[in-house]
Amino acid sequence: MITLENLTKVYSGVKAVDNLNLRISRGTIFGFIGPNGAGKTTTIKMMAGILKPTEGRILINGLDIAREPSRAKMTLGFIPDRPFLYEKLSGKEFLKFKAGLYGITGDALQERIERLLEVFELTEWADELIEAYSHGMKQRLVIASAMLHEPKVIIVDEPMVGLDPKGAKLVKDIFRDWARGGSTVFMSTHTLALAQEVCGEVAIVNRGRIVASGTSEDLGCQAGVEGDLERIFLKITAGMEQT
Amino acid sequence: MGFRNSLRRAKGNKRIKVIVLTGGGLLFWLTLFFFVYRILLYFSSQEIIGDILARHLLSMVLLIFFSMLIFSHIITSFSNLYLSHDLELCHASPATLPDLFLSRAFYTILDSSWMPLVFGLPVVMAYGIVYGAGLAYYLSLIYVSFPLILIAAGLGIMIIMLLVRFFPAQRARDITMFLTIIVIIILYLLFRFLRPERLVNPDTFMSVAQYLGALKAPDSPYLPSRWAADLLWAKVTGSPMSQMFNNLLLWTTAAALMVINLWMAELIYFSGFSKAQEAKRRSRAGRKILDKMVSAITRPLGSDTTSLIAKDVRVFFRDNSQWSQLLLLGALVVVYLYNFSVLPLERSPIQSIYLQNALSFLNIGLAGFVISALSARFIFPAVSLEGNAFWIILSSPVTAKRFLWSKYFAYLIPMLFLAELLIIVTNYLLKVTAFMMALSSVTIFFLVFGIVSLGIGFGAIYPNFKHENIAKVATGFGGVMYMITSAVFIALVVILEAGPVYTILSAHFRGEVITPLQWFWIVSSFFLALVLIIIAVQRPLAAGLKALNNYEG
Repeated sequence: MITLENLTKVYSGVKAVDNLNLRISRGTIFGFIGPNGAGKTTTIKMMAGILKPTEGRILINGLDIAREPSRAKMTLGFIPDRPFLYEKLSGKEFLKFKAGLYGITGDALQERIERLLEVFELTEWADELIEAYSHGMKQRLVIASAMLHEPKVIIVDEPMVGLDPKGAKLVKDIFRDWARGGSTVFMSTHTLALAQEVCGEVAIVNRGRIVASGTSEDLGCQAGVEGDLERIFLKITAGMEQT
Repeated sequence: MGFRNSLRRAKGNKRIKVIVLTGGGLLFWLTLFFFVYRILLYFSSQEIIGDILARHLLSMVLLIFFSMLIFSHIITSFSNLYLSHDLELCHASPATLPDLFLSRAFYTILDSSWMPLVFGLPVVMAYGIVYGAGLAYYLSLIYVSFPLILIAAGLGIMIIMLLVRFFPAQRARDITMFLTIIVIIILYLLFRFLRPERLVNPDTFMSVAQYLGALKAPDSPYLPSRWAADLLWAKVTGSPMSQMFNNLLLWTTAAALMVINLWMAELIYFSGFSKAQEAKRRSRAGRKILDKMVSAITRPLGSDTTSLIAKDVRVFFRDNSQWSQLLLLGALVVVYLYNFSVLPLERSPIQSIYLQNALSFLNIGLAGFVISALSARFIFPAVSLEGNAFWIILSSPVTAKRFLWSKYFAYLIPMLFLAELLIIVTNYLLKVTAFMMALSSVTIFFLVFGIVSLGIGFGAIYPNFKHENIAKVATGFGGVMYMITSAVFIALVVILEAGPVYTILSAHFRGEVITPLQWFWIVSSFFLALVLIIIAVQRPLAAGLKALNNYEG
């Protein structure tokens, strides 16, 4: 479960995120969409504990990420938009390293790593250094590493960047399975078709503020537009540009 | 311009920090100036030999700066010409290859030359003031340093272009190995050209004339730094002899190298750059034994610390630009120990036992500076080494405190080992008393705790996670500030111990009794040194922790 209360981030006098309030329940895949510079990545970085909010608070499974960062992060999996990794580690070593950071040790770890490598089709490359991986392979490794500690909340920034169609389908299926298991997936994306396909709820953010939220149908009603999310999004954000 | 931009960007506290730190740099600059000034004043008071020594020193300084410039250009041009992320955009633009090459070479020269120039300036200024040089000398500094930099740049860029021509840039392993060997050769040549051992042992010369002759000919006449030294010396002493020949040598060599480089660039630069874009080879991970050793040592520290240290060790030994520098470290240790083994103590007019113990004491400071220099290269960049992957640490449950402690612990152990090796072996070579052996071993032990903390702390205060070349991180503003602070820390501890140690040794050798007042002074001095070490351990780590907690990439 994720709660954002009056979340605000100011950079050099400019409000990147402006008084954001959200409550996302367990088992939801939540889409966070908006134009470039709307404050999506800033919000996600604050939720992952990488940036400090200027005001407001973030609760991850009821834990305040500012007050209890370690406990909150134990229940959180973060997948950034660009898969920067330790290039001189092998895929398997990276997963072991990540497990160590989360205090996961013991015999079950090896089995879990093998399973994730298999699911993400990286078994053949497990002992190769990451520097030799393609962008898509790195992205799959990052997603595998985010699931290693079986988090209750997954925060994803642009999950499909660099993935081939097969990889994209795999990730979508995994997110759905994860949500069915009771985890919450918070996903920022520009791919509106993806948001429409997998997200139970969507929020449209513009200039740091949420301008509309709900299911795709709810948003359609709010915008007075019928049809796909793309049309709804363009209508809503175009309205904002004019004001 | 960089300073002006830093000031513009900085606000409030940051602005004060920029001003204070620049003041610190200025203080170091002035200290260096007065140090050289005092030496030159002393030289100028010595008849005949004084001028020869001053000229010898100028040659040495210029040779060192010239070597530093070449190495700096090798490192920087590798990054600027082949590896920078913006190069793809540049090569895709309609700019011609010579234009592109010249602009990158120009940027490389600016990037590589500022530090040797800034820190060389107090030395040449001191010469000008001590010898009362006229305007011609100060003007000559411009037209001598300019071609000297161009020659160093020409050589550095040429070496890199040839290396990448034969070895694809992505195979950095081979290139860095070559670079390392080149540096070792440069250091070796530097050492041999200076022939310092001959100068401290006049008995090996048949006559005074030969000794003076050796002093007069400190380096090869084929070296550009020698041409520059001859030229500057003539100007500083107001010699009427024309230096047109040396001037022509410098300028024509610089021009020739530029033309050759441009010609080479047209032939081989683009093919080298193209090779650099080729896919990286698949390479398998290894070093299971090392992994087991690391996890055995770090297991009591917790799984997060074990993981962090094991990761750092793996990355270090797989990154050829990192581990290959261990070869240099080995060379440095060998030269260091060799110097102590050839000291002609028995010929000294001072009683040998005094000299041995005094040298052992000075050795604490010297070993401290060696550890400090190594820390600047290996420990200061330790936090920045996380690079763009730092998000992994930030988004994990590992606290900034545990992250910094893991870095501290990982570097403390090898540095303690190295420092004790230097101290114990040199003390053994010097045959010092048990008291000096114990004192210097204990002092360096605690100094290392402070030096490593300063390195990690400054590294966290001035991180550079977006570096393209980790070797350049140490040469940035934070690295310079670390070196200055570390040098001041070592000097203060040595100064605090110097008086008490002299009193104890004097009393011991003269059979005198130490008075209660002297004991009070001795205990107070050692206590102050201990307090200083505790501050040096605690403060940098605390400041680094605060900086990391407030870090917003």
